[in-house]
Amino acid sequence: MRRNKGRSRFIVLCVAPAVILFFIFMILPTLNVFRMSLYERGAYSPTETFVGMGNFQALAQDSLFIRSMQNTILMVVVVTIITFALALIFASILTHEKIKGTNLFRIIFYIPNILSVVVISGIFSAIYKPENGMLNSIISLFRGETVTVLWKDAPLVVVSIIIAMIWQAIGYYMVMYMASMASVPESLYESASLDGAGRITQFFQITIPLIWTNIRTTLTFFIISTINMAFLFVKAMTSGGPNGASEVALSYMYGQKDAGLYGYSMAIGVVVFLFSFLLSAMVNKATKREPLEF
Amino acid sequence: MNGKKVLSLALAATMSLGLLAGCGGGNDTTGGGNTSTPAGNTSSGGSDTSGTTIKVAAIETSYGTEVWQQVADAFTEQTGINVELVTDKKLEDVIGPAMQGGEYPDVIHLAVGREAGLTEQFIKDKNIAEITDVLSMNVPGEDVTVGEKIIPGFVNDNSTTNPYADGKTYLAPMFYSPCGLFYNKGLFEEKGWEVPTTWDEMWELGDKAAAEGISLFTYPTTGYFDAFFYALMYEVGGEDFFFDATHYAEGIWDSQAAQTCFDIVEKLASYTNPITPAQANDQDFTQNQQLVLDNKALFMPNGTWIVGEMAEAPRADGFEWGMTALPAVTEGGDRYSYTFFEQMWIPAGAANVDAAKQFIAFMYSDTAADLFAAAGAAQPVTGIVDKLSGDNQIFYGIYDDGAMAALGSFASYKSVAGLGTTREVFFDPVNALVSGTMTKDEWVSSIKTASDQMRANLS
Repeated sequence: MRRNKGRSRFIVLCVAPAVILFFIFMILPTLNVFRMSLYERGAYSPTETFVGMGNFQALAQDSLFIRSMQNTILMVVVVTIITFALALIFASILTHEKIKGTNLFRIIFYIPNILSVVVISGIFSAIYKPENGMLNSIISLFRGETVTVLWKDAPLVVVSIIIAMIWQAIGYYMVMYMASMASVPESLYESASLDGAGRITQFFQITIPLIWTNIRTTLTFFIISTINMAFLFVKAMTSGGPNGASEVALSYMYGQKDAGLYGYSMAIGVVVFLFSFLLSAMVNKATKREPLEF
Repeated sequence: MNGKKVLSLALAATMSLGLLAGCGGGNDTTGGGNTSTPAGNTSSGGSDTSGTTIKVAAIETSYGTEVWQQVADAFTEQTGINVELVTDKKLEDVIGPAMQGGEYPDVIHLAVGREAGLTEQFIKDKNIAEITDVLSMNVPGEDVTVGEKIIPGFVNDNSTTNPYADGKTYLAPMFYSPCGLFYNKGLFEEKGWEVPTTWDEMWELGDKAAAEGISLFTYPTTGYFDAFFYALMYEVGGEDFFFDATHYAEGIWDSQAAQTCFDIVEKLASYTNPITPAQANDQDFTQNQQLVLDNKALFMPNGTWIVGEMAEAPRADGFEWGMTALPAVTEGGDRYSYTFFEQMWIPAGAANVDAAKQFIAFMYSDTAADLFAAAGAAQPVTGIVDKLSGDNQIFYGIYDDGAMAALGSFASYKSVAGLGTTREVFFDPVNALVSGTMTKDEWVSSIKTASDQMRANLS
């Protein structure tokens, strides 16, 4: 008994620093966000007034916020689906097909992930340039006439940001899928092919079910990182323009802080927090399967 | 099974927490700001300020940072007050966090109209120290008062320096610059075109240029429309209309004068180079400025800093900067050029207000004005134009060529959720007008709705 007591004290001591730091730097500020969302104050003014749910009522009627939330949801859905599909396909090809330069491809796909978003926005600025930009030049080549598509203007701007985000994210998820695919025993594929299963059947019947736990984890990553990355991309590529067309929830929140509505922007933070939390929980619930052992 | 469920939920929660960690960090420090009372005028008792150290935070612009150090050194030499200088292109990000924690620089040089709107927030919160008495202070080392040196019109009856219209000055005018339409003088000489003096001539020129594949107009970002629109308002309705409009008077946007303004902007939008909105963001705005250098657009609204900003950019043969005031609305009517100027101010929470006021007074000394002029910045003191050189002398001479100076800005109003800034309400939609995703009527009606709210919340 004595020895056990000493042991648990030791464990408590070991864990304490992390728990305390986590509490001070994560839990406390988050609770503070919830508290601040009930107040109205400027970012630099020392006075604050309690407004209760006032900020949230204003949010429900704020058409700019609703549009930014729509953009966020669109990005979460589209970026997740396309990145997920492409990353899986590329990972599967690079793990199972015998092609030359597998490692080279892996590195090339991964490079966008280590680039700063500012660099990426610079690259895409050159790609999307209306006159003699890369994309328009290529389209012009095939159309046989000079085409001036305005990639960063109102109707297309969200699509343009989504493309950049997918380009940036694929490598990261591909490497994650490759890691778990590598642990699927080769013998399963051999016996499947003896039974006459083609590549595609193998992919859906063996690969996907066996890396399912990994896929579930990445889906939560997708939701959270897309919400976060969308802010960086919008800030660096368009600053929300033209005329607010590419605003996303977090960039709108940031802008409201600059407009002197600190409490209001915290209320947006609360909504985004609850949204991402609930969405992650729902996705987690919907993708629940009995884990397969191999 | 249940334990796992709880665990996975907890994990999901933890990851979501990460989302908010960024905003949370700021909050933690603001807690301290609530309790600490601003130091206020603790130093106002003693007049002996020599030996103290003041913190000066100045935005880094095209004038560079060296000039600030030179001026600070000259100030220390003159008064014995030490200066701790902070300069940065994104000054808000450097001094913002500390200010949220209740630690303020003594002097801040940061203009209104920036994206982060830090100065506006201080104005709205009435968080700026009054500096009316600086105007009657002697400029350090000289026998004249600050008020006597500043060009008339810059501090009195000016809604930018006296934001509450109560006759008290809160912001000191710095570095003025005439804004107007910039163009390639060489191209006009080559084609034999005249620079238009009325809007009718402007549209004629627009059609002529269109025939040669050149657009009449472009703009870097919609933020450049403020100077343009202010000057336009002065032209169509004079000072009274400008005052009413910038104070959101009831029914003002239905007036004939306002309609003329909207019509001109709408027509101008149809003459604007169509690729402009796609590049009208902070990342790509120089591409729009490049359109003028490449002879793809004739005019753009801008300020004198454009020459330095685009100094390294490639340009068409024979390119030469030209600048003109806005064309008049009627033949022989008044033409205006908006006078942009930056502001220097003292946060109410500054520790050394007296020394800070001396620093502001020193900004108008001959020593400082000479140093600034050498860097291309013109202080609003009498006789400054003679100190400038090259292009700048021509640009600043615009007021001698018959253009009138337009001063002032939209009155500040208390922030309201969902209302947006004046730029978002008035000028950002120009992008949509150009690309045709919004009509003039939609634009005007959204201005009217917003204007009613702004009036109700005037601070």
